[in-house]
Amino acid sequence: MAYKTNLYDVSKCTACRGCIIACKDWNQLPAVIEPFKGNYCTHEDTNGDTFTIMRFIEEETDPADDVKWHFLKYQCMHCFDPACMKVCPRHAYTKTEWGATYHDPEKCIGCQYCTYACPFHIPKYRKREDKITKCTLCVDRVEAGLTPACARTCPTGALSFGDRHELLAQAEERVKFLRANGFPNATIYGKLELGGLNKLYILTDTPDKFGLPIDPKVPAQIPFWKDWVQPYVGWLIPLALAGSAFSFVTTRMLAGKHGEHAEGGHE
Amino acid sequence: MQLIPEYRADVKRVERFNFVARMTHWGHTVTFILCLLTGLVLFLNSGANWLATIFGGYNGAGLVHRIAAVTLTIFLAIFVVFDFKGIIDWIKDLLRFGKNDIIFVMKFPLEFLGFPVKMPPQTRFNGGEKGNSMLTPTCVILLVLSGYIMWFPSIFPAGLVRVSYPIHDIAMVLATFMVCMHGYLGSFHPGSGESFWGMWKGTVRDDWAQHHHPIWYEETYADKAEGDAE
Repeated sequence: MAYKTNLYDVSKCTACRGCIIACKDWNQLPAVIEPFKGNYCTHEDTNGDTFTIMRFIEEETDPADDVKWHFLKYQCMHCFDPACMKVCPRHAYTKTEWGATYHDPEKCIGCQYCTYACPFHIPKYRKREDKITKCTLCVDRVEAGLTPACARTCPTGALSFGDRHELLAQAEERVKFLRANGFPNATIYGKLELGGLNKLYILTDTPDKFGLPIDPKVPAQIPFWKDWVQPYVGWLIPLALAGSAFSFVTTRMLAGKHGEHAEGGHE
Repeated sequence: MQLIPEYRADVKRVERFNFVARMTHWGHTVTFILCLLTGLVLFLNSGANWLATIFGGYNGAGLVHRIAAVTLTIFLAIFVVFDFKGIIDWIKDLLRFGKNDIIFVMKFPLEFLGFPVKMPPQTRFNGGEKGNSMLTPTCVILLVLSGYIMWFPSIFPAGLVRVSYPIHDIAMVLATFMVCMHGYLGSFHPGSGESFWGMWKGTVRDDWAQHHHPIWYEETYADKAEGDAE
């Protein structure tokens, strides 16, 4: 089945935050009020009750110019090969056939391995339930034939939802247009990053201007741990047990041959 | 078949481990095994539902793991506070690792299988015990440190949290490997003889101590006026 995804076009976004509200509404997430930090962001980062946030990044290039705004809707990227799914010891993460990385809270034990494996630091700990939460790509809505809450509510058409390859073709057209019309650095994000993300972005500038990693990588400790340590090193334990059992038998067999050990020890 | 030599109260015995050392040892035995079983619930990636069920499911296993881990840490603290001199003496003995210990370790595989071997005289801890005493506590300290980092990841740098995962696993496997060998060698292996009673009752037979740890015996219980045996 073709992957279905969101396309988010920064050039059309007015940062109205309708998507945050729609997400909170559909997923029944309580408000999280953070103190004013000197910018327009309502939330510094996603948290246990906020699956998607809107970044307001102010860029001051030339003092004569106005401040340049970089808006960014930020949430789970639904990677094709998710690191969270790899590290989860309870196999709480699954990949739906249409590309959503779904986290099952029933299985979650709140170990937070995923939080630290994720290149985008997305899965967040919800303390009151001792569980991890994150964007579901509205699995429940999509599988009922609806579009994700954020995409449905977007008033400017910055967010759309559909088949990934169709949206990718649209995005390529749009980037060509933007490059020719005053945004020479416009680019697509999510097409190739980490082998493909199931969230597509049209950016008006390079990803770093939006606080996105230019070349996101799964931290090297994670594959070392999951691909080398866990499958192989653990065999030392059965080796020790087998060695002990073997010695238990041979010592007693050889004791008969070489005579009983002297009382209180041997040699 | 006799598994462990009989405890003989009627022969001359000498002290090998004091009360604090023994309490720490057996406290760590219980808490380590609890931590191990509850930790394997997550380490055995292909599913260990049967093991989790024993501890009341995955959340129950997590709770037992944490309680046992804190208790293990408390035993460490007790050892440091109440028998600091014992730890220093222990470390001093480990630092005496030398030629005799290397010969011991080289010949040990034969002894392990039950062939009669003549070992060079050993200090308080023989070559193998020295190795165990160096590796296992190092692994346990790594387990404790990485464990608390994984428990409270938000107060530590993210990079440190990420390295803690493989460290916790590697230290667990090495410590468990040593604990399996140590458990067997300290009990059912015929060569260990009295050493089980040294840790259980605190004393070993005088003749066994002379035979297995002559340097230690000379220095501790023989007439010290004769000078160091080393």
